[in-house]
Amino acid sequence: MKLNVKIKRYNPEVDDAPHWETYEAPADPLDSALALLLHVKWYEDGTLTFRKSCAHGICGSDAMQINGENKLACSVLVQDLVSGDGDTITFAPLPGSPVIKDLVIDQSRFFEKYRSVKPWMINDGPAPERERLQSPEDFDMIEDSTKCIMCGACTHSCPSTWADPEYLGPAAMLKAYRYNMDTRDDGSDERLEVVDSSEGLWKCYTIFNCVQSCPKDIDITRWLSALKRQAVTSQL
Amino acid sequence: MALETAERPKAATDSNRFQWYKVRTGMFAWMLHRLTGVALVVYLILHVWELRALTDPDAFNALITKYHAPIYKIGEFLLLGAVVYHALNGLRIVLIDFLGWSPNQKRLFWTLGAVAVILMVVGGYPIIHTVVTHFFG
Ligand code: HEM
Ligand code: SF4
Ligand code: FES
Repeated sequence: MKLNVKIKRYNPEVDDAPHWETYEAPADPLDSALALLLHVKWYEDGTLTFRKSCAHGICGSDAMQINGENKLACSVLVQDLVSGDGDTITFAPLPGSPVIKDLVIDQSRFFEKYRSVKPWMINDGPAPERERLQSPEDFDMIEDSTKCIMCGACTHSCPSTWADPEYLGPAAMLKAYRYNMDTRDDGSDERLEVVDSSEGLWKCYTIFNCVQSCPKDIDITRWLSALKRQAVTSQL
Repeated sequence: MALETAERPKAATDSNRFQWYKVRTGMFAWMLHRLTGVALVVYLILHVWELRALTDPDAFNALITKYHAPIYKIGEFLLLGAVVYHALNGLRIVLIDFLGWSPNQKRLFWTLGAVAVILMVVGGYPIIHTVVTHFFG
């Protein structure tokens, strides 16, 4: 079938503001949305700019807004985006971070927030002879949250992020959950200091855009609620 | 090494901060919750302001008569709807945050939404009845 590929284009060196551009592309229902972008770049306009690497939902580089929702272009199929020939698929950069060019956003703020929650294991206790053991039950508690690939779809889907660019956002706070609930970690208090703040947990209004957008189907809100409870009970 | 936020190139634009985003159950529930929450605050202020009349029986009676007009009855019905929705969705948020009911959030929304409609019909019946008889009775 033939589809219209509508892309929000922006080149800061020549454009004052972003504008929409529509291209025609042949597509198979089982193509990924990324295949459409590649077609446009290879055969229509080589200046089109977007991030991608693995093309298999592993690297997290091609999160963008597709048909009004944040998704990984490589992990969504054409058949799930259109109903037939001549339909239009829209592509826009993730909302809520500055655009560098076309579909490429500046991720520095996103990764600053990530670093701010200390996303590593903190344990100053004596090192055991072999590895620090974790029971299967202990791992169950964090398994879902360990699947995050840092694509940014969630944080940039949240109205709290759009309204307040400094809001930590779901991805960073999910990392805080992942380490705080890790039974081998001792850094909960340090991380709670960061997330138990007006730029943190309490700007989560359980809107669920993050859960809806996560390509790894992580129930982010569920874990952020658990982190809220940890933040509250730690003060009792 | 990533660029610090302050050193971001000038050309980068924040123009995509508010892009149209598809509204799903959770965002719809939140928008309605905020709308009803703010509406209730506005109502509460107006309500207390009007209650000044409590000190003067004649003024109070005049007000009560005024409030029998259909426009106020319709307002009363909207108030009921706002309270019922806000309270029930508030319960939904409490269940999600305190009991971890997040996997059921959509079913919860539609279930409590049905309860809200039932409460509005039952509780609003006298109001609707008054308005209907005013215009058609
Ligand atoms: C049974 C009664 C009520 C319940 C269970 C309830 C519950 C809640 C909850 C749980 C929230 C937090 C929302 C969130 O985190 O996303 C909230 C927010 C709010 N409530 Fe209520 N509420 C009630 C009555 C009222 C009343 C009477 C008013 C106004 C006078 C009001 C005004 C607000 C406002 C302005 C917000 C902030 C909205 C927002 O952050 O989106 N609420 N309510
Ligand atoms: S939680 Fe999901 S949506 Fe958010 S960054 Fe991780 S993989 Fe992407
Ligand atoms: S290109 Fe790697 S996740 Fe899509």
